[in-house]
Amino acid sequence: MRNILYLFFLMVVTVHSQEKMTTAEATVLKEKVKAQAELTTTITSDFVQYKHLDFLTNDIITKGDLAFKTPNMVKWSYVDPFVYSVIFKDENLYINDEGQKSDVNLSSSKLFKQLNKLIVNSVKGDMFDDNEFEINYFKIADNSDVHFTPINKKIAKYIKAFHIQFNSKGDVVEIKMIEPSDDYTRIVFSNRFLNKTVSDAVFSH
Amino acid sequence: MRYFLISICLFLVGCTSYPKKLGFKEIETINEVVGNPYFSDVSKDYVYKAKIDVYDKTFGGIFIVKKIAEANHRVVFTTEMGSKIFDFTFYNNDFKVNYILAEMDKKILINILEKDFRVLVRENGTILNISVKESTTLFETEIVKKKYFYAFKNDQLNSISRVKMGKEKVQFIFSDINAITAKNIQILHHNIKLTIKLKSIN
Repeated sequence: MRNILYLFFLMVVTVHSQEKMTTAEATVLKEKVKAQAELTTTITSDFVQYKHLDFLTNDIITKGDLAFKTPNMVKWSYVDPFVYSVIFKDENLYINDEGQKSDVNLSSSKLFKQLNKLIVNSVKGDMFDDNEFEINYFKIADNSDVHFTPINKKIAKYIKAFHIQFNSKGDVVEIKMIEPSDDYTRIVFSNRFLNKTVSDAVFSH
Repeated sequence: MRYFLISICLFLVGCTSYPKKLGFKEIETINEVVGNPYFSDVSKDYVYKAKIDVYDKTFGGIFIVKKIAEANHRVVFTTEMGSKIFDFTFYNNDFKVNYILAEMDKKILINILEKDFRVLVRENGTILNISVKESTTLFETEIVKKKYFYAFKNDQLNSISRVKMGKEKVQFIFSDINAITAKNIQILHHNIKLTIKLKSIN
């Protein structure tokens, strides 16, 4: 009997570890993040990326740093275990793969432009668009976890959901991109600084 | 008549076996199997940084192989940022596409990739012929009705070649070998402009 009670207690704790927010709490968070995003001109951060594939024994871990500058320039650089960077700028992707440079123009593909916009917006956390997503709000300890499920079926074919975790200040601490197969990519940020001077040269190819 | 004789001669030269052409001497074959150990450990996640050159385009990504069980492998390719490009299952002689990016969903391309990756994950094949030259031994085997030669030097598998009419069509070169892991793998196609280079990152 004691074991059953203990098990029940554990289940309750597990269920409560991710508690749904009230509408009022969700509104407060949304406004905080939007205000923060409006005041943000640059972001720099380190990150650790965990690629989870269900059949693997361990997640694939890659590390690097990120730079964002308004209006919509993002540089995603991997430094370990390989050197690779991709710059999202205007309607192009500029890739530097261990010194080998290439670029991809996205202007002809509406879908890739949309996916590109999502990546840029997810860095700021500002994805609160009810026309594009079904949005659900949760609390995890002091953080907020917001689940964005794309409404557009074409986008949903690539991404089942974005889960973005915000700290109490409304800044993004973690992004999880879930594929239709439930495999996912989780990106955890650290040493994240807002509005530090970031030169345009960072985004030159 | 002279042209006919020349044609016959050319035909006979063309028929010379691939090992003979390279100066290898055939030896007696006993009923044995030739093995590729490089994706044989169930406990290991094989993760490679990949560079693919196809015609004038180059693109990169992460190439992942996992042995799920005996004669059962998953082969997945993702972008560096983690988006899946393709996800295949090999189970004995069966092949299943679990996912492929719509832009790459072309039968001809999938056939090429299936053939290439089947060679990588195939662990054992019945030996049809053995030939030797100095310290290199060539083992002839068949994978799905195609002829392959496994080249071993000092008990280490250095390359696999798909051969048709005595000519190499595709070469799989293994280097920087550490026990049963090949840190570098190159797949070179000689009949189409396709090269896949894999470098282990774990």
